[in-house]
Amino acid sequence: MYTLELIAGLLLLCAIAYHLGRRRAFSVAQGNIRHLHSLPAYYGLYVAMWCGLPALFVLFLWTVFESNVITQLVLADLPQKLRSLEADRLELVISDIQNFVSGNTVSGEVDASIKAAGLHYQRLQFTSHAALAVVILSLVIGVGFFSLSRINAKQRARNAVERALTGGLIACASIAFLTTIGILMSVLFESMRFFKVVPVTDFLFGLKWSPQMSIRADQVGSSGAFGAAPLFVGTILISLIAMLVAVPIGLKSAIFLSEYASPRFRAITKPLLEILAGIPTVVYGFFAALTVAPFIRNQGSLLGLEVASESALAAGLVMGVMIIPFVSSLSDDVIRAVPQALRDGAFGLGATKAETIKRVVIPAALPGIVGGVLLAISRAIGETMIVVMAAGLSANLSFNPLDAVTTVTVQIVTLLTGDQEFDSPKTLAAFALGLVLFIFTLALNVIALYVVRKYREQYE
Amino acid sequence: MMSLDSLLPETGSIDNKTDHKTVAPSFKTVGEFKLKDPRISCQNIVVRYGEKLAINGLSLDIGRNEVLAMIGPSGCGKSTFLRCINRMNDTIEGCRVTGKIMMDGQDINSPEIDTVPLRAQVGMVFQKPNPFPKSIRENVAFGPKIHGFVETKAELEEIVENSLKRAGLWKEVKDRLDQPGTSLSGGQQQRLCIARTIAVNPEVILMDEPCSALDPIATAIIEELIYELKKDYTICIVTHSMQQASRVSQRTAYFHLGELIEVGDTKQIFMNPKNRLTEDYITGRFG
Amino acid sequence: MSAGLPRKKDTIEIVRRGLKKRHAAARRFKFTGVAAVGMSLFFLSLLFVSIFSKGYSAFRQTYVHLDVSIDPEILGVGAHPDMNALANGDYGGLRKAALRTMFPEVKKRREKRALYQLVSSGADYQLRDAVMADPALIGTTLSLWVPADDDVDMLIKGHIRRELPEDDRRLKDYQIAWIDRLVAAGRIENRFNTILFTAGDSRDPEQAGILGALVGSLFTMLVTLSLSFPIGIAAAIYLEEFAPRNRWSDFIEVNINNLAAVPSIVFGLLGLVIFLTYFDLPRSAPLVGGLVLTLMTLPTIIIASRAALASVPPSIREAALGIGASPMQTLLFHVLPLALPGVLTGTIIGMARALGETAPLLMIGMVAFIVDIPTGIFDPSTVLPVQIYLWADSPERGFVERTSAAIMVLLIFLIVMNALAVILRKSFERRW
Repeated sequence: MYTLELIAGLLLLCAIAYHLGRRRAFSVAQGNIRHLHSLPAYYGLYVAMWCGLPALFVLFLWTVFESNVITQLVLADLPQKLRSLEADRLELVISDIQNFVSGNTVSGEVDASIKAAGLHYQRLQFTSHAALAVVILSLVIGVGFFSLSRINAKQRARNAVERALTGGLIACASIAFLTTIGILMSVLFESMRFFKVVPVTDFLFGLKWSPQMSIRADQVGSSGAFGAAPLFVGTILISLIAMLVAVPIGLKSAIFLSEYASPRFRAITKPLLEILAGIPTVVYGFFAALTVAPFIRNQGSLLGLEVASESALAAGLVMGVMIIPFVSSLSDDVIRAVPQALRDGAFGLGATKAETIKRVVIPAALPGIVGGVLLAISRAIGETMIVVMAAGLSANLSFNPLDAVTTVTVQIVTLLTGDQEFDSPKTLAAFALGLVLFIFTLALNVIALYVVRKYREQYE
Repeated sequence: MMSLDSLLPETGSIDNKTDHKTVAPSFKTVGEFKLKDPRISCQNIVVRYGEKLAINGLSLDIGRNEVLAMIGPSGCGKSTFLRCINRMNDTIEGCRVTGKIMMDGQDINSPEIDTVPLRAQVGMVFQKPNPFPKSIRENVAFGPKIHGFVETKAELEEIVENSLKRAGLWKEVKDRLDQPGTSLSGGQQQRLCIARTIAVNPEVILMDEPCSALDPIATAIIEELIYELKKDYTICIVTHSMQQASRVSQRTAYFHLGELIEVGDTKQIFMNPKNRLTEDYITGRFG
Repeated sequence: MSAGLPRKKDTIEIVRRGLKKRHAAARRFKFTGVAAVGMSLFFLSLLFVSIFSKGYSAFRQTYVHLDVSIDPEILGVGAHPDMNALANGDYGGLRKAALRTMFPEVKKRREKRALYQLVSSGADYQLRDAVMADPALIGTTLSLWVPADDDVDMLIKGHIRRELPEDDRRLKDYQIAWIDRLVAAGRIENRFNTILFTAGDSRDPEQAGILGALVGSLFTMLVTLSLSFPIGIAAAIYLEEFAPRNRWSDFIEVNINNLAAVPSIVFGLLGLVIFLTYFDLPRSAPLVGGLVLTLMTLPTIIIASRAALASVPPSIREAALGIGASPMQTLLFHVLPLALPGVLTGTIIGMARALGETAPLLMIGMVAFIVDIPTGIFDPSTVLPVQIYLWADSPERGFVERTSAAIMVLLIFLIVMNALAVILRKSFERRW
């Protein structure tokens, strides 16, 4: 990859610049570095920084815009016949050209005009690369020598380097913020496009979900239905089953481990529970689909019950098992944060251990536990692999745990994997679902984190 | 229910060195550590935290309807001793208590003793006010409820009101019984904890520096309260403040490095201590 | 005695009367706790037992001993073929001929086809490689062990039950008879399954391996580590050491805590839109996978690093600042080295999570069927968890055991990483 080679070259130049800067600092100091404001290495870094950063910036901009500019130039030179195509057909042509350039097999025969355009593209790309190399090299040399010439004993090289470093730190810290913005933007814009086709209310409250839209208008079943209510119900059903498993077991485990267990038992059991938390969800999905679901189905048929082979119960149970350690470790933390003085107070009145825990410790820890449970719910709702593998695709509006239901995450995966055109309502629907998922889990997280934080402050 | 008089062991002849295997105390306690008809009689108590010896062969009787103050420098074992009397040390990991603590003819330090009724009989008020994060009413009602004292709501209300009255808190909180106990001021919280203890109707109340976290005015109110409660309860109070000990107690015990140095009439201890260590402490040479 | 309270003597009586019930309730309560812990551990062992019992057999594979006469005529090459001709020879024909020689009585077309199915078509590549390595073999008879078809493998391992009616199993009675003859002749053997560790994905279970996915995971993790580690530390340093405590830093902090709880699939949507559509990066590439996982693991690393930095006592900072070091020097040369074990622990845990992550990678096309082993971060590839997902979806019994085996490999990696984190934490744990 060309960019990588350039970056490698740039790093080499920076290393040279560092060396030169340091040497220069020594010579300015005439052998006695006490005359310098900063250590010589800082002068080296100062020069290297000036060489590297502007060049990297140019490189970044160039790479971002290169492909677009070249495509526009190539398009402008295309035969009239191709240029006048509709937007989506034109995109196909462009991707054909790009495929030709990168040497991939092109769908269908390579048309002469596409071949010509491809060669044109390659020429432009070559020119662009060469120009980039020249620009960067001259930038590095120019700025490098300028900064080298400015080195003197009074110069505060260390402060300059540290300022730049701080700037870098700030940039890194804001990535978290940018990620949130990025998530919001990516789901929001696509969702807006979706809501132009399907009204928001139809999407949120519609009872029928069947996103199969035909490509041609005359096909059967051409009108896809995008009522997401069955997905929400399915998600809630499975999450509910999961919480019914995870909350009692997780909470009881936490109580036992924090209040009853000997330190040794605790030291062994806690890591074991953490293993349960560290198992990838795809493994749980496999377990649910191949072990738990058939088991439930067989047990059900022994009892004369009709159980779907991809029942909500199986997915929910396994998801619950996955969340147990999550609930237990969060509850364990908050239970241990309850001051011993409260327990002593209850014991001092003659309460048994169980009474103390039930009537004093748990009520005192309740806000923290609620926060933890909210986080767990958010986890259950956003969990993907278990439901993709063990819950079905059939969008049944059902509260029966033995039925097959589908969830928001399952549909996102289904709609976006496989060959899709990017703009069809079907793919856009996935982003609308993503938006709902993001907003909902965000709200849960914000509330949960707030509650937990308040709780911690109470006993600090 | 045991009859108190018949089953009491002879309290006259306690020898520190015979009963249990202990490190021999370096002091012979000065003063009357044995009483004629004690409520609780502690004999040769040894407490260890892991390897650390906290109390070393201590014997002390607690009389009926008296206020016994325990004073001494930090880490002298007075709080640890107090916590032996209602077995609160059970809750501390690695803490071992040996020796006999006789009450109503039973050794309450023996492992067969159920701590639940014991603690109902011997209540405790802690150093820092620790009201439960519940309403004021629920705080007081906690004990009667778990022990099953009441059948109707009215009975419970009556106990709550009486306990709060006895703790001198009723007037201040009667209009806001449903507010959280933690919303009260420090002194009020401590009186709430006392009310909570009274509500279980104990015979002995142990107080572990109950005023150390309070301001002087709140302290004065609590001291007054202790004076009032003396009529119905036996009270053991650990305190850092010698003035407090002299104000509220009839008898005072001076602890030093896990041993009972001197015990006696409060006036006598403060006016005329017999042991050098006691004297040094009381005159403020260390502490 | 005050009204409302029982008399003291009665108090004890009342307490004692309730004791039995209360202690019973306490025992029940404790028992539910034991039961809950027991249940969690039971689930854990059930999971492991279920995976192990399904997967251990995948580490062995049935091989068939063939005597292949390398007939240039069947191969379709001349007496002195060039490499190109050799590469395109009909090695399947050689395999079929070898099977026919072994079972000369098989005449019917249907039965012949059933016969050919006993040996994996992967044998053809094995033959080709052998012949191309040594063209002198042409005209001789080559005796070699080749992998059996997955159905044969399943029969030998006992996963296909003979007592089922013929129509209910994947092997016909006569096929089973042939296999029995091969077994009797010592021509069938169960060996360690090297294919599993040396091959990429395949539609045929007996030819499918996890190497492609492992290499894909490796590249993805490299990208993730090289981005998330420096960025994570830098962000943590800024937030913990330099950021003014104001609304903005509060907001960033809430943001980071939130991101740690955002469903992973949402990060996949971000990757799809930003990296694939907007920046036009290659689909299915470890580069994009690594970028997405970087954004996902950053919160974990930042939170852990901040905790590690915060645990370095202020006295160290004060000492360094006191002898004239700048805040940045103090940080880089005094605080950071002390915080490093904690930072590394957090990073390893974050990487372990990233290694097991599947959902976001489905969104960016790492879910494709890829046979070739990737050679760089721009090649289309898949990763181990996605490979597990793909195999779990395949109906063949042979893939069930391979899925379980792949899970075992993944779990071993995760356990090693977590153990490393624990050891690191334990050995550098410092009480200030």
